[in-house]
Amino acid sequence: MDDPQPPNPLAAAFPAPPPFWQSFTPENIERISKLRASQNPSRKEENGLPPRILDLPPELRFLQPPEPPVEGVYRCFGDVFNLKDPLPTLQEMSIQQLYTPPPSPSSHLDRALILKRLAKSLLLNFLELTGIMATNPEQYEEKVQDLRTLFINFHHLLNEYRPHQARESLILMMQDQLEKSRRETEGIREVKERVEGVIEGLGRVKLAEFGNGKLGKGKVEIVEEGKDVWETLEKEFS
Amino acid sequence: MADKLTQLQDAVDQLANQFVASLYYVHKHHDLKTLGASDKIREEKKDEAAQREPDIEPVSADEFKAGQKELAQDLIMKEQQIELLISVLPGLDNSETDQERMIRQLEDELKVAEEKRREAVKGKEEVLARLEGVIRSVKRP
Repeated sequence: MDDPQPPNPLAAAFPAPPPFWQSFTPENIERISKLRASQNPSRKEENGLPPRILDLPPELRFLQPPEPPVEGVYRCFGDVFNLKDPLPTLQEMSIQQLYTPPPSPSSHLDRALILKRLAKSLLLNFLELTGIMATNPEQYEEKVQDLRTLFINFHHLLNEYRPHQARESLILMMQDQLEKSRRETEGIREVKERVEGVIEGLGRVKLAEFGNGKLGKGKVEIVEEGKDVWETLEKEFS
Repeated sequence: MADKLTQLQDAVDQLANQFVASLYYVHKHHDLKTLGASDKIREEKKDEAAQREPDIEPVSADEFKAGQKELAQDLIMKEQQIELLISVLPGLDNSETDQERMIRQLEDELKVAEEKRREAVKGKEEVLARLEGVIRSVKRP
């Protein structure tokens, strides 16, 4: 039984690489880098990518990354996502906003204060709700609505804070990396110095034996010299 | 461990769950009372009670009190946890422009550090080559 239709390459469990990988030959890469170098170097794109070349021969066309999409939707694990997914405001969700929005560029201490107030209100409202439930359970609905509004406000405020936290995490990661890089440099430098010391030590051993005129005085001395070298090495690396 | 914001959101959701759980506990385990002298607590027949989950399962007054107290304490604990999490949110005193400046500065520093690292690696390789030369020139005794 042969299948007349070729299987969809995207639906395979282990999809083949996209066909344009064959364009990335060393010659092609060299050609495009030459073409790029011949472009006006002052016209550098903002995002740090090499400038786009408009009229490329077809075999080089795949070596130039396409423009990043600006809008539209994309699929991921079968779900459709919007490229731009802004956080809907509380007004859009028709939820009463319980706080005055903090002016975003300034410090975020206000935000913490508002969050704390909201948290306290939550507890207080729950207390009121229990009171209502004890005396007049029919009137629960209003209070539950209040609680709901408070919760949503709280979450919304936190979600608004997410970009800020993302930047903060980025800063932390960069600091880590900087630290790591510096430590590595330091480690390499130390090892280098030690090895240099070893080499110097070896040089001294040799020179001293030169001075004593031991060289060329038969087999025994050469063996002795070799021993010194190995001993020095062992000492340095032990 | 999740980031601070997610932790905080989870804590708030837990608080909401605790609200519900507290009300449920009070509803389920309170004692039955009569409102007047003529009232009688209705006795459910054995088979009737077995058929469906009983609505209310009264517990002793002490136990009920203890349960209430525990739930209340848990609520306060969660509240304190939430407030603590709020006060340790990352970068509360940094503004967006501060952050951008810091990121740029770190980027530059990283470039410098990377350059230095590369130089160090190069130097290390040179020294390694020299050492190799020396070792090769030495005959093992």
